[in-house]
Amino acid sequence: MLRNVSLELPPGLTLLRGPNGSGKTTLLRAMAGLVPLARGRRQTPPSLLYVGHRPMLLRGLSPRANLAFFASFRGRTIDTNEVLRRWGLQDVAGLPVERLSAGQRKRASLARIDLETENVVLLDEPFADLDSDGVVLLRAALMSALARDQSVLLATHFHEELDRDAKQRFVLGDGELRAI
Amino acid sequence: MKMSDERLRREERIRLASDNERLSGLRPWLGIVATALSLLAVWMGLVWAPTDAVQGDVYRVIYVHVPTAWLAYLAFVVVFLASIGWLWSRRPWFDALAVASAEIGVLFTGLFIVAGSIWAKPTWGVWWTWDPRLVTTAVMFVMYVGYLLLRGLSTDFERRATRAAVVGVIAVVDIPIVHLSVLWMNSVHQLPTVARIGAGPALDASMGLTLGVSVLAFTFVYVALLVERIDIERHRQARVLETRR
Amino acid sequence: MSAPQRALLIAARELFAERAHPDGLAAALTFTGMLVLLESLAFGPGRAREPDVASGVFWIAILFAAMLMTQRSFDRELEDDAIDAVIALPGGRDALFAGKAFALGLLMVIVGVAGGALSIFLLDLEIALPGHLAFVVLLGLVALAPVIVMNNVVALRVRARVAVVPILSFPMLVPQLIAASQGSAAALAGDAAVALSWGALLAAFAFVYAVLGLTIVPAAIE
Repeated sequence: MLRNVSLELPPGLTLLRGPNGSGKTTLLRAMAGLVPLARGRRQTPPSLLYVGHRPMLLRGLSPRANLAFFASFRGRTIDTNEVLRRWGLQDVAGLPVERLSAGQRKRASLARIDLETENVVLLDEPFADLDSDGVVLLRAALMSALARDQSVLLATHFHEELDRDAKQRFVLGDGELRAI
Repeated sequence: MKMSDERLRREERIRLASDNERLSGLRPWLGIVATALSLLAVWMGLVWAPTDAVQGDVYRVIYVHVPTAWLAYLAFVVVFLASIGWLWSRRPWFDALAVASAEIGVLFTGLFIVAGSIWAKPTWGVWWTWDPRLVTTAVMFVMYVGYLLLRGLSTDFERRATRAAVVGVIAVVDIPIVHLSVLWMNSVHQLPTVARIGAGPALDASMGLTLGVSVLAFTFVYVALLVERIDIERHRQARVLETRR
Repeated sequence: MSAPQRALLIAARELFAERAHPDGLAAALTFTGMLVLLESLAFGPGRAREPDVASGVFWIAILFAAMLMTQRSFDRELEDDAIDAVIALPGGRDALFAGKAFALGLLMVIVGVAGGALSIFLLDLEIALPGHLAFVVLLGLVALAPVIVMNNVVALRVRARVAVVPILSFPMLVPQLIAASQGSAAALAGDAAVALSWGALLAAFAFVYAVLGLTIVPAAIE
């Protein structure tokens, strides 16, 4: 349960740390508008991309179809093949997502960062399930997003090297948010 | 993007306290009036009103049957309005009103159906007819039960209120359509209208008066029960709010 | 992208997903067929041919089949959390309800046509007014969708959803059941005016619940 949480996201990277079960996921979901607030207000940002801990891909469709779906929904037409190639998914681009490995599914999910360049990007444990190549790709995607002046909120355990690039850092503990 | 924990919790507690103040003076009187009127209605219905020439004493069930019908529908409408209230304002009082009215509504609807059967069997020889009002009320009964079931299976306070409110609204819209469908169906099949429950005997003045008193008595009983039930619910809500601190 | 286009996108995705894993459709078709067969046996072949009985048997089977199929569709949503991905999109909630209701309506037409064909074949039904029958059946199938989708959405994260959804839906669908079975029976027997008026009721029912669904239900999607 979260209490007394107040958070503002400027352009740039905001890091959210905290132990397991501290409520990082709940906080991100609440910010994405997925969880109703018992108390308080959520200011709807002009546009928002939420990539959760689990891949959240549409079953029965391929990664290509998934990305095309999300892009179309936002009224964009983007070359999904190019994005899929960049993320190393060209070989599995046409397979139903159930047949991909966990790492491939995570990459497909994260590929939305390149596809949907929204003002606010919420990433919940994006590094989980990624191999070393995947981590490199994610860092590149992050840097591109920051270069585009997007506001990125990244919740993660490790990766202290990100502290360097972060504008704000918070820790979530006992349901309360502390800046560090 | 900004989020902050609010004074709403404090405001809610202030409202609960003032609810109690406003109502606590009223409640004993409501109960007294309701009881008095009910006793009067019972006496009038069983003793004072004359025996019917055609139906004998069985017709006296009408003094329960008609008021409960009126109240079943009233309770349902109140659930509808309370549901809209919650969806609009998210004020917990509306949710309390909705559940209170729904529970009392189930009670009265059940009573209506039973009273109807008690009347029908000796009078027309059947326990049940496909009279539109009867069918509609039976459907309403199941809807209420579904509404309460949904509430019972939900855990989170706000989600439960929202889910129930949605059902509260869409269920009410259905009632006139159900009534119309059964009416049409009966006319197509030309079902005999003789066994129409509720098409009672011609009422003379004293019967009419007794009926009026019964309706009034039942209405007061409804309001008295409603106020008590809302109070119980508000206390439950307050406990939930406390655990969130 | 406009709201109707987003709804169509969701509907398209629903149809594609069903094509990839047609378990919902398969279950609904099998169930309808089985039920029509069983009910006909229960009534006896002579009685089962009568327009009233054949109609009633068909529509009860369809009712249950529609429940099954929608149940399966929403199970799929919950299995992969993808529902969160959709709701987090702007206009996601509205599109989800509209798109699912539309797709389900379409899928029910497939089930209905197949089930209807089976009934006609099994029972050697005489159809006095085939055009009117098609009209009533189509509207009856479409009228199911908003209500069942609505109740699935409301009960999405509730325990025992599989039991709660029918309990909520059946009373609400009483007008649909009456209108569809009476209208179908009238079309089978040759009463054009009656068939058309029931059809009109079905259309009104579908419209009212579609509008109601679009206004209220998205707010309830969790």
